[in-house]
Amino acid sequence: MTGSAAHVVIFVCNWDGLSCIEAAARTGHCYPASARLVRVTCLSRVNQGLILKAFELGADGVMLLGCEPGNCQFDVESRLIAEEYDKARMILKLLGLGEERLDLAQMPGGDGYGFVRRVTSFVTRIEQMRAARLARSR
Amino acid sequence: MQVFDKEREISDTKVRLCLDCGKCTVVCPVAQHDPDFNPRLIVQRGLRQDSVDSRDETIWSCTSCNMCVERCNYKVKFPEFVHALRFEALANGAQPPCSHGGALQALMHLMASDGLQQDRLTWLPDDVEVSKGCDTIFFVGYAPYFDIVFSDLDVNTLDGVRGALRLLNRANVSFDILENERCCGRDLLIQGDREGFMALAKANTEEFARRGVRKIITNCPECRYTLGVDYPKMLEEKGIEVVHLTEVLAPLVDSGGLQPGSLEKKVTYHDPCTLGRCLRVFDQPRRVLGAVAGLELEEMEQSREKALCCGAVPWVYCGFVNRQIQDQRLMQAEATGASTMVTACPKCQIHLRCAQKSRESKGTRIEIQDLASVLAQSLDLGGEAIG
Repeated sequence: MTGSAAHVVIFVCNWDGLSCIEAAARTGHCYPASARLVRVTCLSRVNQGLILKAFELGADGVMLLGCEPGNCQFDVESRLIAEEYDKARMILKLLGLGEERLDLAQMPGGDGYGFVRRVTSFVTRIEQMRAARLARSR
Repeated sequence: MQVFDKEREISDTKVRLCLDCGKCTVVCPVAQHDPDFNPRLIVQRGLRQDSVDSRDETIWSCTSCNMCVERCNYKVKFPEFVHALRFEALANGAQPPCSHGGALQALMHLMASDGLQQDRLTWLPDDVEVSKGCDTIFFVGYAPYFDIVFSDLDVNTLDGVRGALRLLNRANVSFDILENERCCGRDLLIQGDREGFMALAKANTEEFARRGVRKIITNCPECRYTLGVDYPKMLEEKGIEVVHLTEVLAPLVDSGGLQPGSLEKKVTYHDPCTLGRCLRVFDQPRRVLGAVAGLELEEMEQSREKALCCGAVPWVYCGFVNRQIQDQRLMQAEATGASTMVTACPKCQIHLRCAQKSRESKGTRIEIQDLASVLAQSLDLGGEAIG
């Protein structure tokens, strides 16, 4: 992976997930530019295949940003995304890439500040992992 | 990057010998349920040199079960021809219609990454003895990943692996296990992704050379075929003997080197397509099962060379037709009156279990169990059926 910044993909649902990002934008809170958004209608759309594909295409970290359990716009059970998240984490661990590269952020709607704090610390962690791996390979 | 050489593919697979008789299509399990899938016409269409833009969408439905090859009077290698057509389609910009959201393909591509250090042996039980530095290895394959990807199906392919390792220990067959083995790559090869296959194959071959591997034992027929037939053919790697677990256990059972225990069960044996029709390993699993005291083995109406496929495709295009084939096989198994269907392939286990789970209480109740697991259970070395 060339370039200085880590690549982080955020799968964000159109409802409570996106509202956090909109709230952050309204209040002028910045989050790292290396985090790229992929909007989905509901996080239950995201399966282990999509998560692994993001890593295959070069993502260093993937965040799943959506609603807290019980708040789904479509009344979808949060266990669906939790199961895919658990599977993908275990696969990342087996691969030796590290389960910390995947994060499930279930946030209350409109929590701009909470989102910025979470994603900034996630991206920082991913960048540290990337730097450590680059140092090892030299 | 491999270049598609159609003339070479045509001559390698002998499709010009095709008489257009249609017997392949009569015996094909996919054609039986899908009138649009026609092996005879796929050969006709595939041989046409003029059709550059027209895409044959039906080429993704072939399960590579080899029933056609078994029946063909000229042994036209139809599944290999389909694999070549898939390679051509991908080279022309087509995307394979991946199942399971492309998870398996993404995983295989990730597994070929440079500098990958997997943590893939945490499932290994403490009582299994691994001989470090031995030039025979047990190739585990995808089992640790399968059990996660398909955890909602309650599959347990690692149960078969653990059983296999304990049986080899009991029979005093030494082996090492590689900490960083990659997927053999068969699924990528047969869906036309030769570049992806070569990446995995090169990584594995380098590791084999580094560790001085001379012999590979595996309980997965697909790995057995790929490592034993495709690797020597497509890479320069030669000189490694590759065997399936049953090819090791059967002579030991015959000679008394391994004494199976006892298990009171009525079972039926499902011949995996790759182990049976492709590798002609029909007797060894039966000899091994036959040596278990109290085990009653009843054959299904379609067995050995005529065994019905489990409906698997290499994680592409799995749909209604595959479900029909799986239902048919499960019903054939139940019709024997057996409580357990024994299979010697982790993929057969997954595909049949998937079909069974999707039917829940309305479908068949037969248990599915790996052959190594059955044998291990007979010796009280663990092992359990699923279902």
